[in-house]
Amino acid sequence: MRDRVVITGMGVVSALGIGAEANCAALLRGESGVRTVRYLPTEHREFPVGEVPMSGEELLERLALPAGVYSRTHLLGVLALKEALEQSKLLQQSGLALISGTTVGGMDVTEHYFPEPQTTGRDIHDCGASTNEIVDYFDCFDYTMTSSTACSSAMNALIMGKLLIESGERDIVVAGGAEALSLFHLNGFKSLMILDTQRCRPFDKTRSGLNLGEGAAYLVLERESPALKRGAEILGVLSGVGNGCDAFHQTASSENGEGAYLAMTQALAEAGLTSSDISYVNAHGTGTPNNDASESAALRRVFGGNVPPVSSTKSYTGHTTSASGSIEAVFCLLAMRNGFLPTQTEFETADEQCITPVSGSECPRGELRHVMCNAFGFGGNDSSIILSRYE
Amino acid sequence: MTAIVKDVPAEEYNRYLPPMKARRMGKLQKRALVTALKAMEISGTDQPDAILNGTAMGCMEHSVQLLKGLEQEGEAVNMPTAFMQSTHNTVASLIAIHTCNHGYNNTYAHRTISFECALQDAWLQLRTGRLRTALVSANDEITEFQHQHPHFFGQMEYADRSEAWMLSVEPGDHPLYELENVRIIHQKGAEDRAEIIKKPL
Repeated sequence: MRDRVVITGMGVVSALGIGAEANCAALLRGESGVRTVRYLPTEHREFPVGEVPMSGEELLERLALPAGVYSRTHLLGVLALKEALEQSKLLQQSGLALISGTTVGGMDVTEHYFPEPQTTGRDIHDCGASTNEIVDYFDCFDYTMTSSTACSSAMNALIMGKLLIESGERDIVVAGGAEALSLFHLNGFKSLMILDTQRCRPFDKTRSGLNLGEGAAYLVLERESPALKRGAEILGVLSGVGNGCDAFHQTASSENGEGAYLAMTQALAEAGLTSSDISYVNAHGTGTPNNDASESAALRRVFGGNVPPVSSTKSYTGHTTSASGSIEAVFCLLAMRNGFLPTQTEFETADEQCITPVSGSECPRGELRHVMCNAFGFGGNDSSIILSRYE
Repeated sequence: MTAIVKDVPAEEYNRYLPPMKARRMGKLQKRALVTALKAMEISGTDQPDAILNGTAMGCMEHSVQLLKGLEQEGEAVNMPTAFMQSTHNTVASLIAIHTCNHGYNNTYAHRTISFECALQDAWLQLRTGRLRTALVSANDEITEFQHQHPHFFGQMEYADRSEAWMLSVEPGDHPLYELENVRIIHQKGAEDRAEIIKKPL
């Protein structure tokens, strides 16, 4: 059998906490991390957000970094990457590749100083500098790259990671993304009038927008046989990926969800699966009227009358923008490994335009073999991946 | 490679883009789109299997606009268009929207080797049979604000440019180069390096 691309490590930081264990426990408890703003210096306290529950100082202390100017994106990224490398026992390894997704990189620092430059002597602002700040906390990497497709950035990093392994370029690629909250993002999304003043309610008839979140997550992708040879624990398989462009509008999704449909069907084809093999879909499900209707239309086109259980975990974390693709991929692995379906606690009223998500206070238990995870970005950059149990 | 196009001059824009449409676009978006369209025309590939873009800093005109808005108006700022056009993937999406292209679409923003990252993605997909054709572009702009404050966003030196390459697994009538390899190297404490190895045909 052909060598598969397996996952041997994961690290995650979100509003649900630091680390996979804390995130999994909060999902199982049905406890959202979206609340009134604490750390972002914004006047817009009316918009609840999914902030990582640690101040900048606490993050620095936890990472034993000296006082100085750091982007929160950098700190969140290091925390998640460290966990992933520790789990896969690669912290002492050199010659690894990393692909990271981000959109505003070090914007939280830039906007603080604007129009006076920050004078640390380090480049912090641009996406590539942001990735390399995260990477150079470690001594592991001799290849780095940054994908930037708005809210599908981290998922496109995973897709490129799989390609690097399958084309024979690399045996191990760490991929994911990081993004911190910024005034730039909050006021940008506010300008688009798509922020909800309540907790977001994806696929609900009363949904009226998204909550912004922040966080980071990385997955260690490995070629199967060398991973087995070095005795790595295999957490799952990245069995299929898809990337399609909606080619409709810079910020709105098409009515029939063409880009999303293409991404999902490509992922199924690459995994060699049919739609009935999928036991759960972690939807992009932002909570905006447009996204959820469009994604539902695409899901109905892909799955016909048999749409599997679907939920959006954005009511737990907020929309973690560039990082959402890898954060939610970690959630899918946690759901698969612990045998549960993440439930949407905020859901009340079904909408005929939308699929009806898994809801209620308890996460239904069950065996998941193949799960699909979606991430869509502005510009119609739609991506989808399938994660499978390692068997 | 079946076409390489650099910085199409403004006088030629009319050939590719109706003025009505062009008026609503930023300077970089216009130049990027026209450069891509010309590469499609020269190569005779109007629907490539993939559109990829590399950009060191993204759409700076609109990013600076929103940053200035935040500085001057505080959080009363309301700039949906600037925000919408500020994301790095605006250019690759714009090319896809304009040409109704639903294929693979990706954007890399990795400092001075952003184009090489996009090129490596396309090249690996062409080599492994996932794609038959790919449009790979490089697009960056340096705004008036950056000319006045040269190191505000960092020390990185990058060019104000639009460039588009069409890659194909079939040489066609006028092949220019054969792409042999794209290498990317990261070394802690140094600027990332990349190498494009190509052979003239």
